[in-house]
Amino acid sequence: MPRLPFHLVHFLLCWLLAGAALPAAAQGLRITSALAAEGGGRAFPADAPARSVALPDDWARTRSGSGGPVWYRVGFQATGLIAPGELAALFIKHACTNLEVYLNGQLVHSGGRMDEPLTNNCNHPQLVPLPEALVAPGLNTIDIKVVGHRLAEVGSRARSGGLSALEIGPQSVLASQHAWRTTLNVALPQAIGATLLLMGGFMFVLGFINRRESHLAYFGALSVGWAIIDARLWLRTLPLENTVVEFLLCSMLAFITLAGVQFLLRYARWRHTLVDRLLPLQCALMPLTLVLAGPHRLHAVASIWYFVLALEVTAAAAFYLRTHWHTRSRGFWLMAAMLSALALAGLIEFFAQQQGTRPVAAQLAQLVTPIMFVVVGLRLVQQHGRALQEAELGKAHLEQRVREASAEIERNFRQLSELRVEQITERERKRIAADLHDDLGAKLLTIVHTSDSERISTLAREALEEMRLSVRGLTGKPVKLADALGDWRAEVVNRLAQAGIEGEWSAPDDLPQTLSARAYVQTTRILREATSNIIKHSGASNCSIACRVAEGDFQLVVQDNGEGIPLELDGRLDRGHGMASMKHRAKQLQGQCLVESGPGYGTVIRLTVPLDRALEVQP
Amino acid sequence: MKNILLLEDLPEIRAWLRKLVLQVFPASQISESARVHDAISLVSAVKFDLALIDLGLPDGSGVDVVTKLRDVQPEAQSVVVTIHDDDEHLFPALQAGAFGYILKEQPRELITEQLQRISQGEPPLSPSIARRVMAYFSAKAKPQPSTLPHVSLTDRESEVLLRVAKGYTLPEIGVQLGLSRHTIADYVKQIYRKLNVSSRAEAALEAQRMGLFR
Repeated sequence: MPRLPFHLVHFLLCWLLAGAALPAAAQGLRITSALAAEGGGRAFPADAPARSVALPDDWARTRSGSGGPVWYRVGFQATGLIAPGELAALFIKHACTNLEVYLNGQLVHSGGRMDEPLTNNCNHPQLVPLPEALVAPGLNTIDIKVVGHRLAEVGSRARSGGLSALEIGPQSVLASQHAWRTTLNVALPQAIGATLLLMGGFMFVLGFINRRESHLAYFGALSVGWAIIDARLWLRTLPLENTVVEFLLCSMLAFITLAGVQFLLRYARWRHTLVDRLLPLQCALMPLTLVLAGPHRLHAVASIWYFVLALEVTAAAAFYLRTHWHTRSRGFWLMAAMLSALALAGLIEFFAQQQGTRPVAAQLAQLVTPIMFVVVGLRLVQQHGRALQEAELGKAHLEQRVREASAEIERNFRQLSELRVEQITERERKRIAADLHDDLGAKLLTIVHTSDSERISTLAREALEEMRLSVRGLTGKPVKLADALGDWRAEVVNRLAQAGIEGEWSAPDDLPQTLSARAYVQTTRILREATSNIIKHSGASNCSIACRVAEGDFQLVVQDNGEGIPLELDGRLDRGHGMASMKHRAKQLQGQCLVESGPGYGTVIRLTVPLDRALEVQP
Repeated sequence: MKNILLLEDLPEIRAWLRKLVLQVFPASQISESARVHDAISLVSAVKFDLALIDLGLPDGSGVDVVTKLRDVQPEAQSVVVTIHDDDEHLFPALQAGAFGYILKEQPRELITEQLQRISQGEPPLSPSIARRVMAYFSAKAKPQPSTLPHVSLTDRESEVLLRVAKGYTLPEIGVQLGLSRHTIADYVKQIYRKLNVSSRAEAALEAQRMGLFR
């Protein structure tokens, strides 16, 4: 895409240069002098003084102060010039503003209206077929009546009166030359003008909608303005007097300059209130001075204005290049090239205005400007498109970020809620624990130490221990198996030792597993119960407690060498021994408690409790 | 003759404790108190050899009395007598300078024995308290402000703590390490002392910091 404008320009220039070489190869009779006389009427004035003039005849130089009409008379020998049976033609490259052609006194061609408002043919090359019937075999006379305007009355020298050199030759040869000239002077400007109009309009709307991209609006205005001025080149008939048209065209330049300067400044990301006010003021001032000067001084005043406007545009361009010099990106070089081309075109136009001649270079220069506008326009649209794409991407990225942030906030909120629930639970637990200790605990304690009955005292003490264990189970915090084993060992071995029973405790070292708080509390109760049974009922002298971890379960084997539980008393003793409650507790934990006993063989209690699976994977 | 402070809010328990203390120390002078405020006043006025201090009291925590006693009468022995057996309640009291603790619901004989042991310099140490002390000192092993006096456990003291945490009784540990029961008790005493010294230094530093940054 970025290469496209370059290719386009390259192709156009090559094509134009190839066409420029065409006239040189054309055959025919080139007429560079004529007899000229001023006067109206429908025939070469016989009474007015006629004199020989060189063609092209630029009225601004040869007859300043005169607005025509001017008659030109040239003669040519038909013999030898045109082969028999071939159609002859007269090719007039440039006749401004309009013309009529007479062959041997007969009107053979008219460009349109010959009185105000004149048909504008300044840019239209004329191909006049010379009817065979009217061509005399010997000397023939061609009279050309040209109407036009004084230089003083037009804004550009290209629109002042004059007649170019003439060519007479075979129509077939001259037709191609005419076609090329028409393309160069009319078709191309039309095409480019239409392009500028469409693109400019589009960009103006784009910039107008998107105020941050105001440079687009100014560029659009510039393009549309230029397209309007260009339209005059091929818009031949307007229902307006020349004075009005010229006034409008010149005034238009002030607006175009405003658009151009503002475009360059805004594109350089710079704006100033003073500039914003002065440029519109200038747009009002320029027409005012033109009106005040009057139609006869239009060219002089307009020329001064052109100079001022050119200076402004140059300054703006220099400003743009200076501010963007540090980037020196591809975009910068493109703009620099475009501005240089425009400056060159401006210089050529300036010299053409001074010289009065319109060489091919001037014609090309006139084309280059709108082409450059098209290229810059395409570049701007491309930039805008890219910015739009980036904005879309940015938006998508932002949306993604927002989604992520929302998800995170939700997650945090959830965590916070969970934490809050945990905190409240913890606080409640502490409150309940404190209440239990302070109230229930104190009362139980009083019973423990004031009751005369040993049984009541023991029951109260057991109740106190139960209460304490319940409170501990409230925490819900998992207990490390190693810590639990430490607590159990200290309690069981101490109690057995106090009862005079030898305790053997065996447990593996360094157990990383954990028990849920419930499992810890229930296992403590079961172990406590089993120890109590041994101390109270078994009459054992030795008790071994073996702990191990296997297949995700914690296993505890308590074996004594006591009397065992008598079979016939099994059911009755169970109550006192709390076997049922031990089994019940184990079942609650999805574990089991097996009791093996036989008179004289002691008792074996096998407890299996599942480990805290949720946490055992954590270090 | 011993001068003993008895801080307990429940009248029945206080009477029971008084009877019990008199059994262990027959010729002692006992000052009773039911409130933290009164106990602190007493501590400022009377010189005590031993103080039995309950933790949960109507007007505050017994830990404050332990601290006060430590400050004004460092040679006096504070013993926490409580219904709370968990390290969450006991540890702060031990940090404040309590030399041992007694659980109130234990049978009279056991309490008598423990009291005698404590007065002879053999404070009790449960596995959960031992774990808590170990955690405290291992956290201190990390880099600390240089202004803190560096208090750390010796290898032997750590060894004893570790075994207590695993549930071994002090006599068992003595056998395992080839040391007398008395020596093991000395280690425990030393652990208590270091815990208190270290905690107090930390508290002082904390107070200083608060003062600096206020």
